[in-house]
Amino acid sequence: MSAISELSTIHRAKAKTPEEKRLLAKEAGRDNKAGYLFLLPWLIGLVLIIGGPMIASLYLSFTNYSLIQAPEWVGLANYARMFDDPRLHKSLAVTFTYVLVGVPLQLIAALAIAILLNEGMRGLPFYRSVFYLPSMLGSSVAIAVLWRQMFEVDGLVNQILRKFGIPATTSWIGDPQYALWTIILLHVWTFGSPMVIFLAGLRQIPGMYYEAASVDGASRWAQFRKITLPLLSPIIFFNLVLQIINAFQAFTQAFVVSNGTGGPADSTLFFTLYLYQRGFVQFQMGYAAAMAWLLVVIIAAFTAINFYFSKRWVFYGD
Amino acid sequence: MALNRRQFLIGASGLAAAATTMGLGACAPGSSGGGSQGGGNQGGKTSLALAWWGNPTRNKNTQAMIDAYMKANPNVAITGQPGDFTSYWDKLATQTAGGQAPDIIQMDMLYIAEYGTRGALLDLGSVDTSKFVEGTVDSGKINGKLVGVNAGINSALIFASPKVFEKAKMNMPDDKTWTWDQLIEIGAEVASKAGVPFGVASLLQSDALFGTFVRQHGKELFTENGLGFDVPEAQAWYDYLLKGQKAKAFGTPEQVSEEQPKPLDQSAIVVGNAAMQYYNSNQLEAVSAAAGEQPKMLRGPSLAGKATERKTWYKASMLWSASSKSKNPDAAIAWINWFANTPDAANIDLAERGIPPNTEILAEVKPKLSSAQKVVAKYIEDIKPEVGETPIAPPPGGGTIQTVIFRHGIDVLFGKTSPADGAKQFVDEMKSNLKV
Amino acid sequence: MTDLQTTLSDETTLTGPAPQEAIHHRPTGRDRARSAIKHILLIAASVIMIYPLLWLIASSFRPTEVIFRTPGLWLNDVYVENYTKGWYSLSYPFGQYIINSFIVVVGAIAGNLFACTLAAYAFARLKFRLRGLWFAIMLLTLMLPFHVVVVPQYILFNALGFVNTFVPLILPKFLATDAFFVFLMVQFIRGIPKELDEAAVIDGCGHWKIFSRLMLPLMGPAIATTAIFTFIWTWSDFFTPLIYLTDPIAYTVPVALRSFLDATAGSNWGAMFAMSVVTLIPLFLVFLFGQRFLVKGIATTGGK
Repeated sequence: MSAISELSTIHRAKAKTPEEKRLLAKEAGRDNKAGYLFLLPWLIGLVLIIGGPMIASLYLSFTNYSLIQAPEWVGLANYARMFDDPRLHKSLAVTFTYVLVGVPLQLIAALAIAILLNEGMRGLPFYRSVFYLPSMLGSSVAIAVLWRQMFEVDGLVNQILRKFGIPATTSWIGDPQYALWTIILLHVWTFGSPMVIFLAGLRQIPGMYYEAASVDGASRWAQFRKITLPLLSPIIFFNLVLQIINAFQAFTQAFVVSNGTGGPADSTLFFTLYLYQRGFVQFQMGYAAAMAWLLVVIIAAFTAINFYFSKRWVFYGD
Repeated sequence: MALNRRQFLIGASGLAAAATTMGLGACAPGSSGGGSQGGGNQGGKTSLALAWWGNPTRNKNTQAMIDAYMKANPNVAITGQPGDFTSYWDKLATQTAGGQAPDIIQMDMLYIAEYGTRGALLDLGSVDTSKFVEGTVDSGKINGKLVGVNAGINSALIFASPKVFEKAKMNMPDDKTWTWDQLIEIGAEVASKAGVPFGVASLLQSDALFGTFVRQHGKELFTENGLGFDVPEAQAWYDYLLKGQKAKAFGTPEQVSEEQPKPLDQSAIVVGNAAMQYYNSNQLEAVSAAAGEQPKMLRGPSLAGKATERKTWYKASMLWSASSKSKNPDAAIAWINWFANTPDAANIDLAERGIPPNTEILAEVKPKLSSAQKVVAKYIEDIKPEVGETPIAPPPGGGTIQTVIFRHGIDVLFGKTSPADGAKQFVDEMKSNLKV
Repeated sequence: MTDLQTTLSDETTLTGPAPQEAIHHRPTGRDRARSAIKHILLIAASVIMIYPLLWLIASSFRPTEVIFRTPGLWLNDVYVENYTKGWYSLSYPFGQYIINSFIVVVGAIAGNLFACTLAAYAFARLKFRLRGLWFAIMLLTLMLPFHVVVVPQYILFNALGFVNTFVPLILPKFLATDAFFVFLMVQFIRGIPKELDEAAVIDGCGHWKIFSRLMLPLMGPAIATTAIFTFIWTWSDFFTPLIYLTDPIAYTVPVALRSFLDATAGSNWGAMFAMSVVTLIPLFLVFLFGQRFLVKGIATTGGK
């Protein structure tokens, strides 16, 4: 195991002496000119295209804005109203369920298939495309129609269950108790995007590490734990952070499957779907903006927690 | 050292694309001279932007109308902005917020008050509506000002499938005398005899049939002061639907819930799963084509068993409005006038948007209508004695009634809430939606 | 180049053995059985994955009235009018919309590759003041739901006169507004050992050379992923083209597909399904082709 431990020490975070810390602090700021030069397009974009509208939306959250007439200042009224809004609470519950269940399921599927496909086999490009295909279709109206059909009382899923002798009489899509699960399933089905990213990350792990490990007599499982997982951890971290950020903002799938209603009985009323209803259907863009910033706070909190714990399990080459 | 291919591609694309973006972007097809749409004069011509929603048939018709109008009025240039119903309103709201609303806007009763009460719509008082059927002009008035001209009449009713009734070996019900309870009885009977899930489908979605129910109880859906009915009426309706469910006339809650998001082509009566279904009169042609048979048009039921007391009304299936910020208001009004009062327009549109409210135009166009549209025209005429006063347009926030009544109703049907509680929640939510 | 490296560079072929299997040359009976089971499972999973696509394709060959009455896959008659007539059903032949989408997509890919690589290198490798703050702000831009930003952005672009052009769809990409890809590339770069940078510095390379000669080639998979995802996401983007493009001649594919539908009257589902299938083909081809670049791994990192 000596070769592996040697290699992995290179990638472990180094402890720093006070002396080194001082030197590093001097170094920070050393690349100022280069840094800002490389960052220039992004900075311009931030100022011109994103920053202004973001600040504008923050301002709008303190107003009543119908889109048709000019905004009217109301202070914290929108934020206060959120406490009394049962549909908002419901949408938070729906969204949290989706994030806490859907994200891990999807990532596990993506990682498992990526590892399977990374081993190299006959028909690899075919399988890779097949597993990625659902992601291309995920938000199409046509697939939403089919998805609804499949989960109806007499739809395909129940028909298959009945063939196995299970008396299936629930309407998965029509019953408020189960409708959310069909959307979660739809989310898991579209695991192609994180899978492709995992594949790219796996391919970036130098083969010589595995060779050295085999030479040292390491088992495949030990190789997975000591080589694959640590070296893939930046990518796992990336997928985790971004899938959580995206899942909190999930909109299109719920929108097309429920036909914009968030039904049945608000069981698929995702937070951003409710936000969209308030903003565009009910012409209360100020309230929608307040909801948006509440979501930013929630997502930022989750992301910060992610980053905090990442120091313990993510290994970088630098 | 030589650049490798990737570096070259990225570097070159960085330079080229920055330039191309500006060039391509400004030269995107259709942007006549820098992105201003409609509004203003270009090369001496008055230009208008005309927005509508529809399917490919309506798009072709409307484009043909635009071309015909431009031919007759060579100094007007109209650009069409077709869309689909669901996304149309998002786009219109965004355009309005940005001050780029189209000059002529196809409008719906659900949204006319939202735009009308906020000053986004032009006063159309100068449009000639003198020959319109009585009751079809007022729906476009907000606070006394005409902001929408009726583009087609329709009315809420119930379609019945001849095939299903035949399978049940039953006659069509007498829709001039039937009561709400008879609707349940007949629905239950035909559903069980013909073996279909729905005796009557989509009642919970029908704010219009609920509207007649409320009016038969002496109230209105909306008044100038807000909600026109209260918990007793709402509860009576939920009680009624629950009764129908227990009698196996209206489908199971799962089936009702599954039916709601379905598009017309997938609806119960089209695929043969319903004996009767709530629809609007102007959808006869589309449903006939999709179902492969022409449904029978049945009037909605009444409390008293008399069709003349069912308090239905002529609804505007859609209206034409104009933007109050239009740079060419007179030209916009002229076009709306042309649509409403000339046979040229009606001969192209052929009642696709609904029955023309102008009686003279209707008379002229009738021989050219398809057989389905002729049936619709006759129905609209026949129900004239039963039509009550036109209700006011749903006030801002009122357009949500379709989704709110369904959402609380489905909880009642699943047994999660009692009709009393569901009705209270429904009314409370509507009141709070109307208030803001 | 050592022997180790030449062996590893074989890895760049599509069907060549991957790192682990390059070691074991004798397939045992257990290996074969395991491989067979793996294939069976994968094929079963594949069927589940693509069943909806198969249904979409099958339905595209049925007339609209029949689609919703026949849930199965089996086709009794093949109805091609959805394709032949559907192509011409809208205001313009469908090819016009495909071309529009291509223009937008190519611009978007160019923009993202250009701007995101630069920004990622800065965040990942350069030490400059306030780096942490800018990084946090970049992540913050990902967290705000786009529905509330869309209206102020529209007003902004409208004031600049860019409504009804492709500018609002392409320009943001050149300014690295897709923070997703910036972050993705940052993670990839941080996975590259710093020793390589240091070796380059010793060789006398400045930041630009390190970026263009060392980083970019090593970031192959990240760049390929960015290009592929940008293509697919931009191709499927509905809301932005919806609000910015008012003249039908400029519509992109998703907006055009919606034109077949009308919630209030009959829709041409058959044509919509047919054109959906047609527009899937470029997506699929891009992914098939782009996969090769995903495979080209970091085979040359044994640069010691």
